[in-house]
Amino acid sequence: MNWEEYVINARPFDGVFIFDVHGHIGNYHYSQVVDSDAASVVHTLDKLGVDGICVSNMMQLSSDWKLGNDMTRAATEKYPNRIYGYVSPNPFYEDCDLRPYFAQKSGIRGIKIHGCLDREMPLDDVRYERTYELSNELHLPVLYHAWETWEVKCAINVAKRYPDAVFILGHSGFREYDTKLAAIEGCRQCENIYLDTAVSGIYDGAFEWIVSKVGVDRVVYGSDLAFFDCCHTLGQLVTCKLSDDDKEKILGLNARALFRL
Amino acid sequence: MLRFVDAQCTIGRRKEYREGSLKTTADILEMMDRCHIEKAIAVHSVALEDDVMQGNRMLVEETEGNSRFLRQWSVIPSTFGEFLEPEELLPEMKKNQISSVRLSPNIYHHSLRPYAIGKLMHALAECHVPVFMDAWQSDWDSIYQLCQDYPDNSIVITTSGYEYQRQIAPILETCPNFFVGMNRYVVHDGIRLFCKEYGAERLVFETAMPYYSAAAGVALVHYAEVSEEEKELIAFGNVMRLISEVNL
Repeated sequence: MNWEEYVINARPFDGVFIFDVHGHIGNYHYSQVVDSDAASVVHTLDKLGVDGICVSNMMQLSSDWKLGNDMTRAATEKYPNRIYGYVSPNPFYEDCDLRPYFAQKSGIRGIKIHGCLDREMPLDDVRYERTYELSNELHLPVLYHAWETWEVKCAINVAKRYPDAVFILGHSGFREYDTKLAAIEGCRQCENIYLDTAVSGIYDGAFEWIVSKVGVDRVVYGSDLAFFDCCHTLGQLVTCKLSDDDKEKILGLNARALFRL
Repeated sequence: MLRFVDAQCTIGRRKEYREGSLKTTADILEMMDRCHIEKAIAVHSVALEDDVMQGNRMLVEETEGNSRFLRQWSVIPSTFGEFLEPEELLPEMKKNQISSVRLSPNIYHHSLRPYAIGKLMHALAECHVPVFMDAWQSDWDSIYQLCQDYPDNSIVITTSGYEYQRQIAPILETCPNFFVGMNRYVVHDGIRLFCKEYGAERLVFETAMPYYSAAAGVALVHYAEVSEEEKELIAFGNVMRLISEVNL
């Protein structure tokens, strides 16, 4: 596949299955999120030829877990087979039960946990246990915000305790050197840990380096759309020095199995 | 095919080497070939991290005979004779074909206010030399003040980042000499919105290789939902206009 021709001509990547495991909808306090509604996200998917995306609403990660989760479910219902959803627990609310979101047939496919936004609560805290038990029982993917070393180390503890769930380290720990090493070590220790490509400050050569460390089967494409424009990561991924087979695994084939698509 | 001129790259050995990243000038040139980047404004890592004039001299030596690099010097105020006075600096820049300068007030610990760099900035403005600075070298209030203090200087703030939409907008509105470099400007649909609100003339393509990705930046421009004319301004037109106005 001549990936470069697609980029130069701004064409959608037809003929290859692309699934984005790391998306968001909704606004956020930290910075302006442009075109953060589900319709705009689908427009961008169409422009790039991305088949589907799994999103969480920013609100479910910060202020109102119930309203945010409900808005995520509504987006999956409005755009079936394009937008899939993560729901999120709020560990401070004892009545926060995510099981009903999985009781009915919908596009809700996994759990998103952002430890930093949960007042830096350790990800292996007992207050997350009910969510992990659900993930383990239903073999769900759990997407972590994995930006700090403590987050990665906690994630490894959890992954060992819940081997039937799948744990995706969002951002691959791509902040400090020891965070990256911890993420790589996590993949070595736990077969149910994966890394995603959602890094705003990515540099050329980074994806090749990740794959050389953990193997191509453990890397999945994530963009952080609509927080970031997905042209950014996708453009680098398709033109990097990995083989076409490796690119197709990262872009969608690995996620297809994890998300039962 | 869309041309690209990169408004920021760094050559030379550096303190921070990120795992797997581009290492040598040859690596950067290969990446430029892969991304169809014709030219790149280059500054030397030694001039950014340790010794301004030694790094500036190394830049000249290491880019000798290579027309793909547009030389940029790192500058600091002349205090206690540490750096060239403007009347010495400008002839040296002309002699060595330097077409832009870069401020690094965070690294070199100096003020941006007129009492510290006013003489330097005035001399650069007289010769229409564009001034570059990374956003992280200062804070946004100070960047606004920089643009206000030196209205005759073209100021390009590089590595602006996706998280600064609320900071850059009021500066764009009030300071016509303020330009935004688009490395890490990965705002969803951000290029279209930027062009609609402030015009393509204020956005400048930059990669910040080897610290950040050229391929990602090129893709952002290609897929931006703006006209071909606007893409050309962003990809090369704006930076080449700034460079072409230099009169040393």
